[in-house]
Amino acid sequence: MHIPDGFLATPVWATLDAAAAPAVVYLTRRAQRSLEENKVPLLGVLGAFVFAAQMINFPVGPGTTGHLVGGALLAFTLGPAPASVVMAAILAIQALVFQDGGILALGANITNMAVLGVLAGYLPFHIWGGTKWRKLSLFAGGALSVLVSACLALAELLVSGVKMPPSVLSVSLALFTVSAILEGAITLAVMQALERVQPKTVHYPQPNRSPILAGVALTAVLLATVGVLFAAGGPDGIEKLLNLHPASLDANFLRQASTGILGLVLIYGACLVIGRVAGRHRSL
Amino acid sequence: MHRLAPERWARGSSPLHRRDPRAKVVALLVFLIALATAHRGLPQFALGLFVLLVAALLWARVPVWGALVRAGIVLPFSAVFAVVSWMAGDAARGVPLAIKSYLSALAVLLLISTTPLPILLRGLESMGAPHFLLDVGQFLYRYFFVISDEAQRMNGAAAARGASARQWRLGGQRFQAAAGALAVLFARSYARAEDIHRAMLARGFEGRFLALSGVRFQRIDLLFTAVASLAPLALRIAVERALA
Repeated sequence: MHIPDGFLATPVWATLDAAAAPAVVYLTRRAQRSLEENKVPLLGVLGAFVFAAQMINFPVGPGTTGHLVGGALLAFTLGPAPASVVMAAILAIQALVFQDGGILALGANITNMAVLGVLAGYLPFHIWGGTKWRKLSLFAGGALSVLVSACLALAELLVSGVKMPPSVLSVSLALFTVSAILEGAITLAVMQALERVQPKTVHYPQPNRSPILAGVALTAVLLATVGVLFAAGGPDGIEKLLNLHPASLDANFLRQASTGILGLVLIYGACLVIGRVAGRHRSL
Repeated sequence: MHRLAPERWARGSSPLHRRDPRAKVVALLVFLIALATAHRGLPQFALGLFVLLVAALLWARVPVWGALVRAGIVLPFSAVFAVVSWMAGDAARGVPLAIKSYLSALAVLLLISTTPLPILLRGLESMGAPHFLLDVGQFLYRYFFVISDEAQRMNGAAAARGASARQWRLGGQRFQAAAGALAVLFARSYARAEDIHRAMLARGFEGRFLALSGVRFQRIDLLFTAVASLAPLALRIAVERALA
């Protein structure tokens, strides 16, 4: 599900573009460092693989088929940062060449699928990938990556004022759950087949994580995802005020939004300067 | 290799094709932001933008009808949300969604139909996008057709043996078979990437792609940026003035 342009409200896409840009730059640097040699061809060709994987159909129910989304599979084989870079490149190419997903909404799509989706999908594997729950972690990673991306996309649409009756909302949550389970099952099956076909491509994490910390982290991700959805669904303070005084708040709201964005830009600038100074210090 | 129509269109030689990619990217962003933030008089503004885009398509000698149909790819998504908004009792909301998403897609299509992807990516790189990401994107696009063909051949081979993903009775077995096919496709892609890298090293690759011809931002590109960015803004101001 790629959000086209025109669906998100300006504060939503602007904020997510502002958040996605530094995240992508950071993940790109990390990916460049984490791979032994220049692996541009590897990431590019595996990106093409994720595209092409949509052509291999999996049976889902009578007469229906599904396909792999791939974010979690890439994270398990390449590591999280390179997987994010590949997913970001896929989304950018889809938006530019295939008009699948908008350009202004690219930041939102990258945040949902390439950054948070991939990281959420990698989390269970990072925690349990080296233990006896490895199979479960592969399944949970695939499922979580799709669930987190889909819930975030839905929340962004709701925050932008796209109205949905509760029945549609519950149907789409049920659909998300089904596609999450499907992605988990496909990811697990492909990873198991891959371990037989070409074991060297599979990446194994170190089994030294604290299970309690892990449980807390996973619960936090789930709560945040579901919480965002509930928060986006219900009317918030500003919406209530707008209902009370429909006209008078319009200009005020704009001023608040632009102040907020200005604040974000200032904080971002400050972080950039501190990061530069700290980085220079370390390299000496 | 030119299986996508916009890629074929991008090899044209109109004045619009010759503009610097950066000029076109700036104009596109101004267009998209002007459209995304418009509320009042959207139908009139959208009609004006549509005329502008069709004029640009004609100027670039891009097949207009083909482009209009291709941009329609966003309409099913808009239709779903139009129905959902209608069910939520907000029937009027679906129209602006469809208008904005369609015109945005058409504008992006105009960019990609007048700028070959490698040149566009080089332009984005000089505008500050990380070159590692853009290189990955370029490889992805280059090998998309190759890997897709491989997937199609595997599908064909499976179908020739009588397999079909719709055989729900054999669900478990078919599921495993599809997973195996995907794992093989992954392993082949991985091996192909290693071959490609070795071939690049053998040809003296040193970590950066070298371009045969550089892009140069000329005075006419500056003029184009100014005119193409001001046109949607002027249109929007005119529409909002007329309605006020």
